Amino acid sequence: MEQRSNTFLDNASEALKNTGQAKRRDSMARLTPLLRSAAIEDAGDFESLRQQMKQVRQHSLDNLAHYLTQFEQEAVHNGNRMHFARDAEELNSIVLDICQQHDARRVVKGKSMVTEETGLNSFLQRAGLDVMETDLGEYIIQQAVETPSHIVTPALHKSAEEVRELFKDKHDLGPRALEDTTDMVAEARQVLREHFLKAEVGIIGANALIAENGYSMLVTNEGNGDLCANLPKTLIVCTTIDRILPRAEDATAMLRLLARSATGQSQTAYTSFYSGPSRDGDVDGPQETHIVLLDNARSEMLTGDYREMLECIRCGACLNHCPIFASVGGHAYGWVYPGPMGSVLTPLLTSLEQSNALPNACTSCGRCAEVCPADIPLPDLLRDLRHEETLEKLSPSRWRLGLKLHAWVSQQPWLYRALTATIIPLLHLMGRRRGSFTRLPFASGWTNERNFPAPQKKTFMQLYKAGMKKPNE
Amino acid sequence: MSESARSEIFAKLRTASRGGSAEAIDRERQCLQSAPAPMPPATEVCEAFLINVLKNRGSIDCAAGRGETVKAVAQYLYQYFRSHRLVAGNDPRLAAMPWRDAGVLPRFGGIETGEPVALSFAHLAVAETGAIVTYTGKANPAANNLLPEHQIVLVDRNDLVATQEQAWTRINQDMEKRGRPRGINFIAGPSSTADIEGQLVYGAHGPSSWHIILLGDTPADILARAHSAVT
Amino acid sequence: MNEQQHGDHPASNESMQVSLFVTCLADLFRPAVAFASIKLLEQANCEVTVPPSQTCCGQPAYNSGDYEATVPLARKVIEILEPADYVVVPSGSCAGMICQHYPRLLEGEWRDRALQLASKTFELTTFLTQIAKIQPLSEQSTELPTITYHDACAGLRELNIKEQPRQLLQELCGVAVKELDQSDVCCGFGGTFCAKMPEISGKMVGDKLDNALATGAKILTGGDLGCLLNLAGRAQRQGEDLEIRHIAELLCGDLDTPPIGQSGQR
Repeated sequence: MEQRSNTFLDNASEALKNTGQAKRRDSMARLTPLLRSAAIEDAGDFESLRQQMKQVRQHSLDNLAHYLTQFEQEAVHNGNRMHFARDAEELNSIVLDICQQHDARRVVKGKSMVTEETGLNSFLQRAGLDVMETDLGEYIIQQAVETPSHIVTPALHKSAEEVRELFKDKHDLGPRALEDTTDMVAEARQVLREHFLKAEVGIIGANALIAENGYSMLVTNEGNGDLCANLPKTLIVCTTIDRILPRAEDATAMLRLLARSATGQSQTAYTSFYSGPSRDGDVDGPQETHIVLLDNARSEMLTGDYREMLECIRCGACLNHCPIFASVGGHAYGWVYPGPMGSVLTPLLTSLEQSNALPNACTSCGRCAEVCPADIPLPDLLRDLRHEETLEKLSPSRWRLGLKLHAWVSQQPWLYRALTATIIPLLHLMGRRRGSFTRLPFASGWTNERNFPAPQKKTFMQLYKAGMKKPNE
Repeated sequence: MSESARSEIFAKLRTASRGGSAEAIDRERQCLQSAPAPMPPATEVCEAFLINVLKNRGSIDCAAGRGETVKAVAQYLYQYFRSHRLVAGNDPRLAAMPWRDAGVLPRFGGIETGEPVALSFAHLAVAETGAIVTYTGKANPAANNLLPEHQIVLVDRNDLVATQEQAWTRINQDMEKRGRPRGINFIAGPSSTADIEGQLVYGAHGPSSWHIILLGDTPADILARAHSAVT
Repeated sequence: MNEQQHGDHPASNESMQVSLFVTCLADLFRPAVAFASIKLLEQANCEVTVPPSQTCCGQPAYNSGDYEATVPLARKVIEILEPADYVVVPSGSCAGMICQHYPRLLEGEWRDRALQLASKTFELTTFLTQIAKIQPLSEQSTELPTITYHDACAGLRELNIKEQPRQLLQELCGVAVKELDQSDVCCGFGGTFCAKMPEISGKMVGDKLDNALATGAKILTGGDLGCLLNLAGRAQRQGEDLEIRHIAELLCGDLDTPPIGQSGQR
């Protein structure tokens, strides 16, 4: 997928002008935190749960070589074929090879952010395969030739009206009017059912891999992932090497937090564990199963300063609680992962140079970290990325030098006092009549959107030194 | 290519991993704190389960014996379809039910196109989540869970556990005895989606209705109590 | 969250020695906040000093990611403030900077000194409710109109400042806060964020102002000048009839000073 992260400000500006979408984002930004907080309250001890999950994730990552080896052994024992991919291209060609070995023409896919990351769909389509996304949201954006705007609900930027028009355009509807969302869901169900029944290959992601028994865990509400995993003759599970958990029970805390954090449900409708191909006596299931494990910078993250980001469970709570995500939506971030988690991941998975605007799209308000079920200190990680941005001199020099100068002057109290004692009274005089400025040189960023309040007569330090007790004396 | 990718990735991971023997790693894992289960909505496990099924937008019924069970299934079928037909997995427990007494005509096997109702017998069920658990196989073709419009699931109250941890204890015991099933499915409600404007719609790909019948001795007023806890 | 230790406190008849960290925004733009803070602390039986060589806590450089420029400034602030028994700061974000971020930024001996300073540094409303326990004056202070309160993010989430200002408004001024919808959402200030991403910041501050106006309150107050300057600037731009003042000003009944961003000559 073509990256447009560094035009974040332009993308955001465009998004803010689309009033229909902005209004829907506002209402989702009000609704989703309410749903989450009700569900989290119902979960009981949120803090203990997330600390447990953090411990489990840290332990798994501390011993990733051990657990991945164990997973591989068990998965092979279960009859899977294992593949490892260093990067996006390798994953894509492994998957294509498997499809070609089976002379497959039709592929159905469950929602997988990892394959969004690798751009698998377009790669397979270029090779002549018919690839069908089956998660309703993914299906909608695939039909509309768009990209996900949210990691959990990828088509949330589209109105029901737009979906209706899209289906009218792409489907042979006949007399069906698709009056409400129920009709549209039924329409997609009917179309996709045909694809499920005809597909030769199913591709799904995994929310976790269980080391002790080689199962992969899949969490969905629609059941589409399970249809992909059970109906086609060949199943390919695509995920990343960091998704490992030691034992099935270790998924429990994650399951207690994932859906609650994501959608405000206590759990999703389907939580499935798949071990491999069809067994003797089974009446259904794939004949052949493959597991493709992608690295794509995860092993570097493991030894780096942003390791905690590997503990992310992709619930989307940080997106739903971020006022900047709510303002501009997911597309503005210009790549696969948006919002706070995306602003950390994108520079790590692509490059800071290509995405240094994203870590700046943060007011350090801390709402994301507060709700993160993995207890990832997202504002700290974003600030650390801004630190790297400073070190690499990627930020505008006007800003960089200005802030350096400010910090330096702040260390010279006499100079600081002399400067402020000159400037502040002057500003006061200039702004005295109105109380605030509508324009100020060097502060257009501020004054484009709001007035600049004028200071009181003098600085506090001037007044205090003069023995005053009030600013107006 | 794949082999060199594998060894390169593992080499990186070994450098990044802490090392230590499998025993030491396992000891460390044993010491991790546990994840507290949420407070159940009722102290009695059957009631808690039924309440959570309702919260998951399933519907509930109870049946004491096999006669009542087939009657409950017949009633459901008649109410929605004016029909007596359904498809069921080759589960001996289902085969042994006196279907004829209630006039139900089950077909045993995997679901076929156009069959609107499937019946399953849960392997176990979890009160904490209001989920039923099935293993894929002859007794439970996965498609029977996923393709019908309506799914009816029988749950023996003796197969009901309180928490997810207890469910895994049972599943692990089963795997030791009978090997690993291809799929272990926790199902907690009808298939749903909120992908269009956040509006919740049931029956996205799988069943739009999900009906649970709890078998065995339960308090007489348990259904009423469960319903009143949710409304 | 707040790791401040509330250690031994002197008996109530003995006065506490407090150093006021004025904050650069109060020093430069709103001396009224610092004067009000001194008055409140004295009312709470504290002896207040203002260390004269203080300037800025370093948030602008720190939050922009220039840690190298922030470290010497943070050390300087520690040197200036550490002789005090208590340090009080009329800003959640500057108190949070000292209490949470200095220990994160600094290493070795300096980290220990930062932690030591953090243990005796308090945001103003926390100090007045939990440490010095201010008592209302016997004579009724100025009658206040309806008030709504903006919870600044750093104070709210780094230092758990939520009930303290509401409690003080109730006890000292007899007013209950008219709560604004979406009170835990950022106002779009974010330090340099508001100038780096003005359009997004403008949307956020617009939303916050709408929520404040919807309460029907006459005064919008809060504990962080950054947010208040942002909100006041936007209110002035939109021509809203809303007074914006720092919580310290209200608590000591100072309504004579023109509201933030207003001239008082209307």
